[in-house]
Amino acid sequence: MGISTCSGAISLSRELENESAKFYEELSKRFEKDKDLFLTFAKENGKYITQIERAYYGVITDAIEGCFAFDLNPEDYQFKAVPSKDANYSDVLKDALMIEERILNFYKVAAEQSKHLMADIPRSFTLVAKKRNERIPTLKALLDQAK
Amino acid sequence: MAILEEPIKGTKAIKNYINGEWVDSKGQIVEVVNPATGKVIGECPISTKEEINAAVQAAKEACPDWRRTTPVARSRYLFRLKDLLEEYFEEVSRIQTMEHGKTIDESRGETRRGIENVEVGCGIPTLMQGYYSEDIATGIDEYLIPTPLGVFGIIGPFNFPFMIPLWSAPYALATGNTIVIKPSSEVPLSQTRLAELAEEAGFPPGVWNVVHGGRTVVNGMLEHKDIVGITFVGSTPTGRDVIYKKCGETGKRVIAQCGAKNFIVIMPDCNVPATIASLMTSFFGNAGQRCLSGANLLIVGDDNTFYKNFLDQVCDMTSKIKVGYGLDEMIQMGPVRDKDKKANIIRYIESGIQEGAKLILDGRKPKIVGDYPDTCFLGPTVFENVSPSMKIGKEEIFGPVMSVMRAKNLDEAIEICNANPFGNGDAIFTRSGRDARYFLYNVESGNVGINIGIVAPMAFFPFSGMKDSFYGVLHTQGKEAVRFFTESKVIIQRWF
Repeated sequence: MGISTCSGAISLSRELENESAKFYEELSKRFEKDKDLFLTFAKENGKYITQIERAYYGVITDAIEGCFAFDLNPEDYQFKAVPSKDANYSDVLKDALMIEERILNFYKVAAEQSKHLMADIPRSFTLVAKKRNERIPTLKALLDQAK
Repeated sequence: MAILEEPIKGTKAIKNYINGEWVDSKGQIVEVVNPATGKVIGECPISTKEEINAAVQAAKEACPDWRRTTPVARSRYLFRLKDLLEEYFEEVSRIQTMEHGKTIDESRGETRRGIENVEVGCGIPTLMQGYYSEDIATGIDEYLIPTPLGVFGIIGPFNFPFMIPLWSAPYALATGNTIVIKPSSEVPLSQTRLAELAEEAGFPPGVWNVVHGGRTVVNGMLEHKDIVGITFVGSTPTGRDVIYKKCGETGKRVIAQCGAKNFIVIMPDCNVPATIASLMTSFFGNAGQRCLSGANLLIVGDDNTFYKNFLDQVCDMTSKIKVGYGLDEMIQMGPVRDKDKKANIIRYIESGIQEGAKLILDGRKPKIVGDYPDTCFLGPTVFENVSPSMKIGKEEIFGPVMSVMRAKNLDEAIEICNANPFGNGDAIFTRSGRDARYFLYNVESGNVGINIGIVAPMAFFPFSGMKDSFYGVLHTQGKEAVRFFTESKVIIQRWF
């Protein structure tokens, strides 16, 4: 079922952040070399959740289109949070890039769809999208080194 | 996506909160039913005359001390309450969904708007300042001090059980008065939780009282000589013929915010997608149970192609609204509050059919998401060819029903709006500044929207209303509430 409500969209962002944090925590255990980077990513995810929820709870009002704000298909953003056991470093970095791109896409779409809501919600989506976008060159560089 | 956890497990036995104590009532008990699940979630007392009298007595006795508590100190109680409301934001919101049926987004929005009133009340040291003129005559000065009046009664409705008492309570308390709140007995749980948090915030005994019940409590308030004023939100017959009238007879101040029949005027130059999204919240948000809901959609102009395309898109989006339990985050519209209200709305739908309106979307047998009894559920309903004289065109339905009308031009649209006895919240959707100004200048409505479907004033503006939608002079919220809850004491002084 598609997501139309603010509450649903915020829950989806929370779910994506939590799942990708789990993914990075798993990588930090399996690939010691870049442990710190992966743990930083996982920790940042927690901050993004806080940032988005703060924006949502701060401006939610019954007078805007809270129940009619989005047209999101959660399946477009799903990913497997646990890397397969036999995956090598290149494989998991490719997975990480795929995850980042999906989540980035979610935030871009969510920001666009919520732009008629009070400014704080699309702004927080856009800010998180920007932060997540910064991860992609880092992961690509690691992938180049791993090849 | 899961259904959110219910904060109320089992059945909560509700007590009155009088003089800082939780007190069992001797009155009859009525069940509080979750309208989505059909489960009993609370037992609410219908309190007795003695109990309302005890609450007023406690409030009266608390007055002198509370008045002497400085405005800065009083505002700190509100700051503490605000902190607690933020801490328990989610719990309070979910309780509203359980007792009323609204969606979780709507409940959270209600909580936020309630908190905003507490926040505005926190500014009372500035809001309550008087003014001073030096030398009105040689050596003589004149000044004004806003002073508290005593005990106020706050009578809440069922449709915004948490927020609406907060349109009054923070201002009444911050200005140094004490209060007795009577929540709707249909939805008493969030007000009970609010009183628990007020207790935790440390309000002294007797300053904040809650007495649950029905007519006996309301009449007890109206007739009590120690209640100096009443704020009321509810239907026009009760507000006008009971509350306003009785307050006049007994010399009480009164704010009576009553019913509505709001017109949403659509100009052919409007931004169609944005307008339609806004109409969904306006007509079907809170299942149409709010005094600022759109009721009549008035499409202007004789362009039949625009009319048809616009209405097709409205119906398309309306027909996709997901109806179900508000704690399911996917749901866009919850049930109406109870089966009697549902039956009343259905009677209106039937009267629309009988009077010749064209039913183009029938919500009487809704598709419900999830396994819930259909007792209180309705889907969105849309009527076309409605005239202002039909019952569905002129009376307040208080449900998810859209009545579509046409007007030749903006002048005729304004004439139709103004001919209706209510004047609560009319809106226009247009890209023309000229038309928007012409509309807001001429329409007889207390709250006016320009490309806004729900004209809900922020806490720092008065919640206005005109004609049969409002009886009184000053309104709740913001500076007008501060005026309402204070008397202007004017001093002229000379020192020899």
